[in-house]
Amino acid sequence: MERCETTREQIMELILDEYAQKNALIDVSSSIKLITGIGAILVCISSTSPVAPLFIAASMAFITIMFARIPARLYLSLLMIPVSFALFSSLIILLMSGGGVPLFSADIAGVPLSITTDSANLALMVITRTFGGMCSLYFIALTTPIIEVFAVMQQCRLPRGLLDLSMLIYHFIFILIGEAITIHTAQVLRHGYDSFRNSLHSFAMLSAMLFIRAWQQGEELIVAMDSRCYDGQLELTITGRRTGPRIVTAVFLYLGICIWIAYASAATRIF
Amino acid sequence: MPPILEFTNVHYAYPNCPSSLNGVNFSIEKGAKVALVGPNGAGKTTLLLMCNGILRPENGEIRLSGSPLRYDSSSLRKTRKNVGLVFQNSDSQLFAPTVYQDVAFGPVNLGMDREKIPHMVDENLHAVGLEGYDKRPPHQLSGGEKKRASIAGVLVMEPDVLIFDEPTSSLDPAGAADLMELLDDLNAQGKTIIISTHDVELAYNWADNIILMNKGVVIHQGAPDQVFNDPALITTTNLRTPALLEIYTELVARNMLENTGSPRSVLSLVNTLEQKFRQNPPVKKQGAITVCNVDIIPTEKIRAWIAENPDHRRGAMGTRAKKLAEQETITLDFTYGVIDKCLLRALIGESSLILTTTGMVDRVQRRVLAFEEESRIRVAVSLMGDGTP
Repeated sequence: MERCETTREQIMELILDEYAQKNALIDVSSSIKLITGIGAILVCISSTSPVAPLFIAASMAFITIMFARIPARLYLSLLMIPVSFALFSSLIILLMSGGGVPLFSADIAGVPLSITTDSANLALMVITRTFGGMCSLYFIALTTPIIEVFAVMQQCRLPRGLLDLSMLIYHFIFILIGEAITIHTAQVLRHGYDSFRNSLHSFAMLSAMLFIRAWQQGEELIVAMDSRCYDGQLELTITGRRTGPRIVTAVFLYLGICIWIAYASAATRIF
Repeated sequence: MPPILEFTNVHYAYPNCPSSLNGVNFSIEKGAKVALVGPNGAGKTTLLLMCNGILRPENGEIRLSGSPLRYDSSSLRKTRKNVGLVFQNSDSQLFAPTVYQDVAFGPVNLGMDREKIPHMVDENLHAVGLEGYDKRPPHQLSGGEKKRASIAGVLVMEPDVLIFDEPTSSLDPAGAADLMELLDDLNAQGKTIIISTHDVELAYNWADNIILMNKGVVIHQGAPDQVFNDPALITTTNLRTPALLEIYTELVARNMLENTGSPRSVLSLVNTLEQKFRQNPPVKKQGAITVCNVDIIPTEKIRAWIAENPDHRRGAMGTRAKKLAEQETITLDFTYGVIDKCLLRALIGESSLILTTTGMVDRVQRRVLAFEEESRIRVAVSLMGDGTP
């Protein structure tokens, strides 16, 4: 496929939707994929022990990499983003919350710090839930193109206005990213980010310009829609993929196992 | 029959701006190929936005097929269905998440029969050479593909008049030639086509009527050679004489040619020169042109034909024909201005094969006949699969 601009090409590298459109599970019905992902997230957040989230994280990563054939490198680098956040916040939780038996205490510069069993369990819980939840979310993001998510939203009878709005927003995200990259490049080429002072100034300019461009694009959109007899309707294609009973059974079996693990390990504590 | 589009003394100013149209007058006949030419800021885009009622003139009247434009919402819908506008910037025209949804936008809003829409979309994607693109998001397409997708979105409403604002400005030369071919094709189906452009070569070669604008008024409307032969008009509007015409004028000024009417194409200039300067009668016998409709001739047959006639020049017209050539690794000698190039080859005794699609087969015939009328030279054209080799 040919692409006209280098900026576009750069963006595409970052867009997960691109991978979603080429993944190996593209032919599986999107509703069943959404059920799998959302179901797993629900089990993750309602589980009281770290066992079920860990199981979900591992199985979702396995499915995404092995079945949907998403490159493992990409997957790991994506996972690092939320996990680094989770690690930092658990560190705080570890030191700040209390209860249970102390595992470790120290006095640092007169400030008493201690880690207790409860705080360790809570921190572990946060990390595993983040892991499990993110793996499930990435499963959805990397196997279901956003357009199909729209179609499922329509099948769920979400209001038309909400749907139309999300579709337009989806389209304009790309246009705005493109604009932002173009402006940013133009600024970099003229030393806009050479010093801290410069970068503050340039970034402010970029934000202001982006607002004006967005406004202009909106005006142009109205003209474009009017020219084509806009009457309040956007077309949606429902790609009616039927799901075979085997896949449905497999998905419900999987979710059943997740729920069973969560239930059976409800009282399990590591510390 | 009344002109399909007529402006009478149209005035317009954007809010808080000096007026951008000061009494525009022109009329366009049905089936014409019109180029709207003028410097930056002449008011071309403003004028185009008036043709489908996006802007409303302060003074003056716009008539569509004889009846004045009305601005209530149901009349506007009718107008916008009949006058399709393709924007310069395809990104602002393609706003749906997929090509299919974008093309279906017009018909859905016009309340056309839901059952028929998928078929209409397919048909129009086929017409612009984008079969199989229906599920792709527009932001993944190349510039030329985006332009084609936006044309499909307008074509699907079956307009009588198609308006293009700077259609070739963001396309590479091959893409631009492709697009102009598509416009010719649409024109051959009876659509009136209006383009705005800065490209004098394009306007001179393609249009049969030129509207020259400057500072918010139409300063001339007429045939391309009329407009471009008037040095005063050219300089006041920041334009340039097309290279072909410049060469011709200089040759006439040196008494090397009589002024028999400006040539519209390289073919006709070369032919005039040839008639004048070739002393001995034309060399060997003329070449012939074979036209192959890739929609009906099976590929094996085309391959076999090419293997049998390796010395034929090969050209392709239309996206599907070009795609086929690429798939089958048929090397092409000509990809734009194909008929003229084949005629030029025929004049020096080389034969050629034109790969093309159903809609464009007739165009070869018509062009060859027009050339015969102009030069009294007959070039043989045959259709592959018509019993001829």
